[in-house]
Amino acid sequence: MMFFLEIVISGLTTGVMYSLVAIGFVLIFKASGVFNFAQGVLALFAALTLVGLMEKFGLPAWLAIIGTIAVMIALAWAIEYFVLRHLVNQEHIILFMSTLGLAYVLEGAGDILWGSDVKVLDIGLPQGASDWLLDSYGLYVEKLEIVAAVVATALVVVLAVFFQRTRIGRALRAVADDHQAALSIGISLRTIWIIVWSVSGIVALVAGIMWGSKSGVQFSLSLIALKALPVLILGGFTSIPGAIIGGLIIGVGEKLAEVYLGSMVGGAIENWFAYMLALAFLMFRPQGLFGEKIIERV
Amino acid sequence: MSQVQKTIGDTLLKVEGISLSFGGVKALADISFEIKQHEILAIIGPNGAGKSSMLNVINGFYHPQEGTISYRGEARRRMRPHVAAKQGIARTFQNIALFKGMSTLDNIMTGRLLKMRRNFLWQALYWGPAQREETEHRTFIEKIIDFLEIQAIRKTPVGRLPYGLQKRVELGRALAMEPELLLLDEPMAGMNVEEKEDMCRFILDVNDEFGTTIALIEHDMGVVMDISDRVIVLDYGRKLADGAPDEVRADQHVIDAYLGVSHD
Amino acid sequence: MNDVVGPKSSQTTRQAPDGCDTFPKLLIHNAEKRGDLPAMREKDLGIWQSWTWREVLDQVRALACGMTALGLKRGDKVAIIGDNRPRLYWTMVAAQAVGGIPVPIYQDSVADEMAFVIDHAEARFAMAEDQEQIDKLLEIKDRCPKLEQVIFDDSRGMRHYRQDFLTEFDEVQSRGRAFDRDNPGFFDVEVAKAKGGDVSIYLYTSGTTGQPKGVVLSFENVIRTAQNGIDFEGLTADEEMLAYLPMAWVGDHIFSYGQSYCAGFCVSCPESSATVMHDLRELGPTYFFAPPRIFESILTTVMIRMEDASWLKRKMFHAFMAVARRCGVDILAGRPVPPGDRLLYALGGLLVYGPLKNTLGFSRIRLAYTAGEAIGPDIFDFYRALGINLKQLYGSTEASVFITIQPDGEIKPDTVGKPAPEVEIKIADNGEVLFKSPGVFLEYYKSPEATAETKSADGWVHTGDAGFLGDDGQLKIIDRAKDVGKLNDGSLFAPKFIENKLKFFPEIKEAVAFGDGRDHVAAFINIDLEAVGSWAERHGVPYGSYQELAALPEVYEIVREHVAQVNRDLSTDPHLASSQIKRFLILHKELDADDGELTRTRKVRRRIVADKYLPLIDGLYSDAERVHIDTEVTFEDGRKGRLSADLKIGAAETYEAEPLKRAS
Repeated sequence: MMFFLEIVISGLTTGVMYSLVAIGFVLIFKASGVFNFAQGVLALFAALTLVGLMEKFGLPAWLAIIGTIAVMIALAWAIEYFVLRHLVNQEHIILFMSTLGLAYVLEGAGDILWGSDVKVLDIGLPQGASDWLLDSYGLYVEKLEIVAAVVATALVVVLAVFFQRTRIGRALRAVADDHQAALSIGISLRTIWIIVWSVSGIVALVAGIMWGSKSGVQFSLSLIALKALPVLILGGFTSIPGAIIGGLIIGVGEKLAEVYLGSMVGGAIENWFAYMLALAFLMFRPQGLFGEKIIERV
Repeated sequence: MSQVQKTIGDTLLKVEGISLSFGGVKALADISFEIKQHEILAIIGPNGAGKSSMLNVINGFYHPQEGTISYRGEARRRMRPHVAAKQGIARTFQNIALFKGMSTLDNIMTGRLLKMRRNFLWQALYWGPAQREETEHRTFIEKIIDFLEIQAIRKTPVGRLPYGLQKRVELGRALAMEPELLLLDEPMAGMNVEEKEDMCRFILDVNDEFGTTIALIEHDMGVVMDISDRVIVLDYGRKLADGAPDEVRADQHVIDAYLGVSHD
Repeated sequence: MNDVVGPKSSQTTRQAPDGCDTFPKLLIHNAEKRGDLPAMREKDLGIWQSWTWREVLDQVRALACGMTALGLKRGDKVAIIGDNRPRLYWTMVAAQAVGGIPVPIYQDSVADEMAFVIDHAEARFAMAEDQEQIDKLLEIKDRCPKLEQVIFDDSRGMRHYRQDFLTEFDEVQSRGRAFDRDNPGFFDVEVAKAKGGDVSIYLYTSGTTGQPKGVVLSFENVIRTAQNGIDFEGLTADEEMLAYLPMAWVGDHIFSYGQSYCAGFCVSCPESSATVMHDLRELGPTYFFAPPRIFESILTTVMIRMEDASWLKRKMFHAFMAVARRCGVDILAGRPVPPGDRLLYALGGLLVYGPLKNTLGFSRIRLAYTAGEAIGPDIFDFYRALGINLKQLYGSTEASVFITIQPDGEIKPDTVGKPAPEVEIKIADNGEVLFKSPGVFLEYYKSPEATAETKSADGWVHTGDAGFLGDDGQLKIIDRAKDVGKLNDGSLFAPKFIENKLKFFPEIKEAVAFGDGRDHVAAFINIDLEAVGSWAERHGVPYGSYQELAALPEVYEIVREHVAQVNRDLSTDPHLASSQIKRFLILHKELDADDGELTRTRKVRRRIVADKYLPLIDGLYSDAERVHIDTEVTFEDGRKGRLSADLKIGAAETYEAEPLKRAS
């Protein structure tokens, strides 16, 4: 039983990571209809920048985080200015291609600026297992994973409040629904895009910190973007709660599958389980768990 | 019934020498006219005459190659949609542009976005002044809902509403912006007689009670002649006539180009 | 058949509450007794606004004085036109306070109808809700020379109306407040002048033929009837009621005005006519009236929504509705039910009935009435099975509503109840229902002949409906009196009643019953092509046409069973036992509006059918086994043709008349 719980908890914490990346996707997709292939690279880029600021400039962690946030906002502005602005009213596939290009540019830039070696990210987050849980319940849970879960939850709450309650949140929902109408009520698309990309960048930073603290900052980090794809299919491309639940389901699902089914099919289920699940979903519920049902008047 | 004569004010918006082309197609050719305060101006013309293009130029969706637009005396080459909205120009669309996933109430509420002042921290906490402000906006919205007689669909997602009601909600959202100039792109298209009558009444009441200046595009000649103070006729991107409904009706160019030929 | 039911006149007469014999006095009484409790609510700008009894008195006082300042005199009539709005209700009591007579008019009347009523009632004042009504009034003003002052409630769109006879409601009230200051005591003196026997209101009823008639009711009529209803049902000041039916209809006048003032409960007005269902849900009334068609349309909506619901919800709904149909009606009536069913019903209450009633706004209903026409037994039982205390009543404007009410525990889908308190009922020889009650109207305004026709010198009022009293003492309405005939043995023949019973079976689409002036009843049957056709398909019975299908012996057998079933039902009723159908035939063609056999609204044209199929009727009343008929038909493309057929005549079992033995 304890073993099962440990697997579930470990799955949940992995799932939180997937969710964080997926949330970044959802934000940008909702606001602009763009499937941002560069979201994973954004996380990598943010983590690299953070490590770079700490290592090369010797900044303390908190200052480096603020610095990184500034860099991500500047990046969002630059993306809007140099890329998106020129592609207004283009086909979605073209915008998607541009994010593909963006991913390579960012990866290259990160490589040039901060080097390609695996870096250790230590901003002082607790490491090792939680003694308390181990002693009282015999449960092995990494402290970092607990922190990750807490931070992710807090982030989601802040985002929810931001998008539900504030003017910008309302504007974002309006833009997500109908560009033309949003323009007519005085919403500046460019402002919204910069805000959304900035927020996505910050979410990416959080994901980068968590992932980087656990397994070091390396270029394979950008690959978690690929895991976010099945998460989105599960949760729906337009739903933040969907991204969270989807992430958790996939995180737990692949761990359980690995442990309990792995022996039957020769292991490594963890690598493809998410995609199989996504495929099954595409067949039965293409809009995802929480995706908007398209309401069309007949 | 003794109608009180309404007073038409000074020029609110002036377009001068506007030309617009898409690729090789000329949509508008050297168009100039004025919209005066408190008037209802109708822009008519056959399909493809450039009516919608004209509205899109006014609120900044299209950027004309030539000409200037002066709004409240301030001349500019191109308008940007969100700037136009901030300055008090609201509009509706020929093919309804509503936020389909939102309820009627939320749709109209988005019209208040620009009027919301409190910073987002206040709003996020939904506390004190922000809450009071929200209540004020909600009261305003309820007056619009009452005005447009759409109480019954307050909480209905607009995607599920019939066409005529969607048009009404769209008008409601534009009104929520408390516009000085209201641009209506075929407000009565696709409506039955009763819905048209209602819409006419709303347009007249808006103009009358809030003093809103209205420029509208409409196909139904009866409606145009009934409710507008002035009519502009466009044909193939050119301006054919500009004057009171009766003058326009009598204008030979107009009769030849538009009124004379049978038209739906 | 002169059985009279109900109390004799010697019985004690009920006192109006605390001796208040007019509505203005009741208002003052309520303002003193429960001044801070809500008297009226209205949803405005999305929020329920409410007025306490004291505030209502203040509003009414200002309005009454204002109308006086505008020139309203004792005896003047005040037309009231609009949706259910607090201010329009206040206009009624304000007019009554200073001796005026309110004349509510249906808000959807076209200008001509409105002109007739205003002119006929000689209204000097009119209170209109909004621009829409004002426009109608302006259109007809020339035709109503007596009309002098028009007040409007909603000023929307009215700013360019400059006629000096138009005054805004607020303006009237502020003039009234000034008048009240200058003439303190005026209001109270005027209120004290009126007595219970004085005229309180004219209610115009739209007769089926001719012009509407103005039913004149006294304060005593309305107050005593309202109070009797309150006592009978145990209504209190805590009831919640939604006023959404026309103010010009007597039901609304009794339920949302008379009973509200007598019992002191709060009446709420919906935001608009389109939001009634929504407002109902928000308000959750305890006391509710709706005509059968509204209950029917609510049920349809529920069913449609259930079709769209998720699989689980749908299954649950149907499973628990089956439980409710099995035992819900008995549980509500307090009859014994097996404990298993009781448990399932309680579970259903938690999972299905509760949430469903909540969505409909019926969670708090203690008493719901329906009346006006026959309600389908399945619809009636649906609501009762859910635990909603739905009852039928029978009433008319001339009775100030209540003639009969179903007492608790004696609810049946096919009766309209026992005589209401202080009401006497008798059945005339021709089957017509007559009544006598304290609610009996004074007269039809300016129509002494019509009054004399309806109300006899000794106070009996003709309802125009035919019916009879069952052994259980409950009244059953069977038809309009003029359509009811007699069999040769002198017993009643109500064709529509019999036909409706036949049409209750899905296989029977239309039926025409004969019997007036005959020895027994016989009937033509039209089968329902869809229902019978699908039966034939299921059972592998081949047929080529409607005519063939109608002539199949198997089909005759089905119909014969249905007819026998109807006969069995009829036999249990001593009044209708001789109306059992002895012989019938199934028509070879559908009765059709194109052939003039039906009206466009699909009602049978009895006379035309009888003429056209005379040989068939003769056959039914002979000993023949078969009968030949040759008729002209109109095809769908308009061509005429002839159709001839040999029709078999079926004989149905009839039953000994046995009086109803079931204990009620």
